Amino acid sequence: MGEAVKIGMIALSAAIAIGLSALATGMAQSRIGAAMAGAIAERPELAGISIILVAIPETMVILGLVIAFVITTLKSA
Amino acid sequence: MIEKMAKVEILGLKDAALDAIDIIQELGTLHIEDLSERIGQMPGKRVTRMEMDPKFADHEATLNNLRSKVGDMIRELSPDVDELPREDIHSEYKAFWSDNIETMIARIEKTMAQIEKDTRDPAERKADLMVEMSRLEKYAPIMYKIQPLAERVARMKDMASIALIIERKYKAILNYLNEEISKLTNGECEIVASDVDDESTAALIVFNRHYLKQVHDFLAVQDVNQVRLPSDLARKPIDEAVGEVRARIAQIPGELEEIDSKLSQVTGKYSVQLVAARNAIHDRLEAMDAVPKFGQTDQVFIISGWLPEEEVSKMEAALTDKFDTKVVVTVVDIREEQEEAPVALRNNAFVRYFEIIYMLSKYPRYGTIDPTVIFAVFFPIFFGMMVGDIAYGLIIMVLGWIIHRKFSSKPLMNMAGFLLTMGGVWSIIFGVVYLELFGDLLARQLGVIKEVNGEDHIKYLLGSEKSLFKYPIDRLEGFTFMLGACIIIGFVHIGIGLLTGIANGIREHSRKHVMEKGGLLMVLTGFMMALGSFGFSWWPGALVGVGIVLAVAGVVMAGVGGGMGGVVEALVGVGNIFSYARLIAIGLASVIMANVANNLAKQVGGSGGVMGVIAGIVVFILLHGLNLIIAMFSPSIHSLRLHLVESFGKFFEPAKYRYEPFKKTGGEE
Repeated sequence: MGEAVKIGMIALSAAIAIGLSALATGMAQSRIGAAMAGAIAERPELAGISIILVAIPETMVILGLVIAFVITTLKSA
Repeated sequence: MIEKMAKVEILGLKDAALDAIDIIQELGTLHIEDLSERIGQMPGKRVTRMEMDPKFADHEATLNNLRSKVGDMIRELSPDVDELPREDIHSEYKAFWSDNIETMIARIEKTMAQIEKDTRDPAERKADLMVEMSRLEKYAPIMYKIQPLAERVARMKDMASIALIIERKYKAILNYLNEEISKLTNGECEIVASDVDDESTAALIVFNRHYLKQVHDFLAVQDVNQVRLPSDLARKPIDEAVGEVRARIAQIPGELEEIDSKLSQVTGKYSVQLVAARNAIHDRLEAMDAVPKFGQTDQVFIISGWLPEEEVSKMEAALTDKFDTKVVVTVVDIREEQEEAPVALRNNAFVRYFEIIYMLSKYPRYGTIDPTVIFAVFFPIFFGMMVGDIAYGLIIMVLGWIIHRKFSSKPLMNMAGFLLTMGGVWSIIFGVVYLELFGDLLARQLGVIKEVNGEDHIKYLLGSEKSLFKYPIDRLEGFTFMLGACIIIGFVHIGIGLLTGIANGIREHSRKHVMEKGGLLMVLTGFMMALGSFGFSWWPGALVGVGIVLAVAGVVMAGVGGGMGGVVEALVGVGNIFSYARLIAIGLASVIMANVANNLAKQVGGSGGVMGVIAGIVVFILLHGLNLIIAMFSPSIHSLRLHLVESFGKFFEPAKYRYEPFKKTGGEE
């Protein structure tokens, strides 16, 4: 029973780590995306760089994934 | 690398100005500097902006008109410009070109008159036929509906009929019309209706001919849409008119085809001339536009500009040959105005494809190091690291090569295709490192991954589970190892960026710049030395101490070099290393999806029968196809980002101008 709770808590922690960072990334990307869509309408030559700008907040979810993975390794600890 | 540039000032007697401009444009190597700002700041106003002769201004208007006429004609005939032989265009271009603008205009106008003469009649006939066709196509279904009703009316003496077309949603209006027209005709009226399509209903009002005027007047006031046939058909009986409509609808496509074939012959005959005329006009107008950028005194014209150092002698020779001492070329010392130099890149054929990065960013500033080679080395490696699958790599490589070859005349697609090809090659290499082919398919076939009691076990081909280095590197099991590898790669990548920054500082004799970048490198190195203790139990404690000292000294050094900004950059810069975790994170997402595709396909395929196998194959293709598309875009974007934000952000300084020489397009506009 104790082991099951431990595994459950680990899984929940990993889920929170990836879930919250994914939400944060989504929120940031939605704002950047909307702003860039407006900017591209005015200056289409910004289309290339806007892809890079939209990708910037993805660092959060990537770090979230890394943390989630590190948390799951606690299972064997 | 960045091409070494020289700045020249060309001075000459004013009567030689136009010929000199022509020679400079012909050579096509001078990036013209706009002198108007410098002239505006000069005291005394002895030097003024060069102005075009008023006679030339008239020619400019004529050339602009001709340009739109030629452009319209090219659009109308739509020749395949990319397929036209360059040599033919060039020889036509030469035939049009003349030092005398009036002669050139006359030649182009003559050609245009001939083309217009040959194309006007078929083009007008084609437009008429298309109008007729669209009108007939609009009325044909209505007429087909009305025909049986009209035939019945025709048999009734003293009766007249009017056809209406109304929107189906307003069909109820027919009741109102029936009531009102009945009142007008004392009940001698009937309306029959039939739906034509989803949107419209055709109706025929039959009434006593005696009330024709009243009914027409009433309908005019009600603003309903009466079907009016073309005048030549309107007077004919409906069945005869329907027959003619059918015949015309069958006939017109043939006539259009005939006209198109005539026009296509004309297109083939004149497209080379049209493109050559367009280019010649473009070049002439470019030359005229350039004139206000030059300076002049009462006697002398002045042209200033930049060109590659090795082109200076050719420029001198060309002008001296033509004008002797009437025009003089002087090379100017550029040490004080290096930042103003336009930048041209000169890389080898391989690295040149990676200049695609400058479609997202400006060129590097003149005098700094061109980082294209860094991009050329690391972009495909990062891409391959993220994709890391033999099958995906092979597909991406082949697809990239096809794009590269197919779009040889479109620089963006050509370069993107080459980048994908190289990315594909590195994906195959990393696919071998991870032993991945469509995810874990190969590893399972080879027995490297085995399922025991519902759990996957890996039998390493080299090393064991406890070894630091083992083969294959499973991205799921070896996540921590790969994370460490990514951080080391990040350190190397950012480190190269900082070393480039230091080299730029040394080149520009900027001690502060060198100290700032050097400090940052020390912080980064110190951090990595301290971080080692987390990764390896044997890591000497002394190295951690040295690392901390190095990092603190680096922060101080960055502060001395770059002020508060330098300190902040040094501290934040360390965080950039963790951004390289995406190299494994993106790949991990890809490999998990590939494994899901395999498992799902296996489950569906094993559900029984031939249909099950087919469904399994479909699932396999669809999911791997989706993963492959993501694998082509996501790693490209993230690899680009690692360069533009993490590495280039440490040293890159953008150029003010790209080198855009004043030249004749010579048929390659």
